[in-house]
Amino acid sequence: MKAMILAAGKGTRVRPITDEVPKPMIPILRKPVMESIIELLRSHGANEIVVNTSHLSSVIENYFRDGSQLGVEIAYSYEGCMTDEGLEGKALGSAGGMKRIQEFSGFFDETFIVLCGDAWIDLDIGEALRRHREKGGLASIILQEAPREEVYKYGVVKLEENQRIVKFQEKPNPAEAVSNLINTGIYIFEPDIFEYIPSGVEYDIGGQLFPALVAAGEEFYGLPMDFQWFDIGSVSGVWAATRMALQGKIHGFQMPGKQVKPGIWTGINVSIDWKQVTMTPPVYIGGSSKIEAGAKITGPCMIGANCVVENGAEVTECLIGDYTRISGMASLDKKLIFGGDCISPDGGVMNVGEAQIRWLVDDMRRMLNPGDLHDMMLFSNMLSFHETIAQEKEVA
Amino acid sequence: MKHSTRTEGEFTIVTIEESRMDAAVAPEFKNCIAQLLAGGANRLVLDISSVQFMDSSSLGVLVSLLKMVGNRGDLMIAGAKGIVADLFKLTRMDRVFRMVPDVGSVLGTVAA
Repeated sequence: MKAMILAAGKGTRVRPITDEVPKPMIPILRKPVMESIIELLRSHGANEIVVNTSHLSSVIENYFRDGSQLGVEIAYSYEGCMTDEGLEGKALGSAGGMKRIQEFSGFFDETFIVLCGDAWIDLDIGEALRRHREKGGLASIILQEAPREEVYKYGVVKLEENQRIVKFQEKPNPAEAVSNLINTGIYIFEPDIFEYIPSGVEYDIGGQLFPALVAAGEEFYGLPMDFQWFDIGSVSGVWAATRMALQGKIHGFQMPGKQVKPGIWTGINVSIDWKQVTMTPPVYIGGSSKIEAGAKITGPCMIGANCVVENGAEVTECLIGDYTRISGMASLDKKLIFGGDCISPDGGVMNVGEAQIRWLVDDMRRMLNPGDLHDMMLFSNMLSFHETIAQEKEVA
Repeated sequence: MKHSTRTEGEFTIVTIEESRMDAAVAPEFKNCIAQLLAGGANRLVLDISSVQFMDSSSLGVLVSLLKMVGNRGDLMIAGAKGIVADLFKLTRMDRVFRMVPDVGSVLGTVAA
C-alpha cells in the first residue's frame, strides 16, 4: 500500500517548539513522532511514502532522506518557493497537497493511506484497510471516542448504523457536537477521491473535502477503532505523551538508552555521581549529559543529551531539551526547556534571553558574561542569606 | 514607570501599572521605591498583578530593595501570576519574598 504523511503544517498550537522543529519532528523521548509513524507503516507493508513539506522542510528532509535507513522509500513534495531570502513555504492544505502529488505523477494508483504527522499511534493498519474495503467507500476516516469537553479540538462525525458518515463538523463547540467520535487524522482513500479536490488551490481535508463528500452523498465511512493515539499537536499534548511514555503507559513504546536502575534510563557517556544525586523515577537522561552531585531530579522527567544539571539544581517533572545548562540555583517545576524558552504545559512561555536569566538556564555551550555572573551572585547571596536567617530562627 | 501609591493603615501599597518590568524601567523603579523607604515607609506591599513580564534586572532591583528594608519592615509581593510568578519560582525568590495572591489577602493575613 502507498502512503502519504502530512507534514507541511506550521504547528501554531505547538509554538514556540515549532519555531525550530516542524511538528512531525517533535520527539517523544528522542524519537520524532514521524519516525514512529514510518516504522508503523513499514510493519504493515506500506513502503512507498510521499511526504508533503513546507514549514522547516529541510529538518524533515535531512533527517529521513530517501528513507533507506528505515527500510522504506520516501519522496517529498515541497510546497513553496525559493526566494532571495531563502525558502518561503506556501502550504496547499492537506487535500491540496495530495492533489499536487497526484497531478505530478499519478502516484496514488491504488487504495492509499494518509496520516497527519502529529500523533503517536499503534493502529492495526491492515485491519483498518480490511474494514475500509468491506465498506467499499471512496474514503474512510479512522475514528476514536473522545471526552465531550475535548471534541472542540477535532473533527467530529455522525454515523448512520452502517457507519456511513452523514455529518462532519470541523472543531465544533461541545454543545453543538453531533457525537463524541473524533477524526484521528488517519484516512484511507480510493484514487477516485481526486475528483473532489480542486486543482491548484489551498484545500483542506477536514474543513472542505469531508463536508463536500457528505454534501454529495458520497460513500464515506467512519471506522471507530481501538488503538493508542497520543496527539502531540499542542504543547500540553507533547507534555502528556512524554510523561505517559516515561511512566510506561504507552504500550509497546521502546525506551531509548539503557535502564541503569529501576525506572532510570540513560544514554551512553553520561557523567553522574549516583551516590550524591537524588533521583526519583521515572527519569531518562540523554547521552553525554552531566548530573552533578547535589542535583535533585524528580520524575517523570526527561533530560536531553549534552545537558549539565549543576549542584543544587532542582528539576521536577520537566522535559529538558538538548544542550541545556541548569544552574544550581534553578528550581524547575513542570516546565519544558526548549530552544531558549521555558514553557509551561498550559502554554505560558518565558524566553531566557528576554528575561535575562541565562545565568539560570541556558545553552550549555554559551559562556556566562559579567552581567550574568553579577545577577547570579546577587540572587545567590540573597538566597544563602535568607536560608541562614531561616536556620537561625529554627535554632532559636 | 507608571504606578500609584496609597496608604492603608501601616501599609504602603504600590501598584505597578506597567505590563513590562524590564531593564528599561528597573532604575526608575528602584529610585521610586527607595524614596518611599527613605520617607519612612517600611511596610511595603508591591501589587504586580498587572505585570505580564518581568526580567532578571527588575527582580534584581526587588532583591536590593529587600536588602534595604532589612529587618526594619516588609516588602511583600502581591498578585504575581503567569511567567512573572514563574520567574520568582525558577530563581527561588519565592522563598525569599513574602508572596501573596493579592493586596486584600495581605491586609487580611498580616492584620491577623
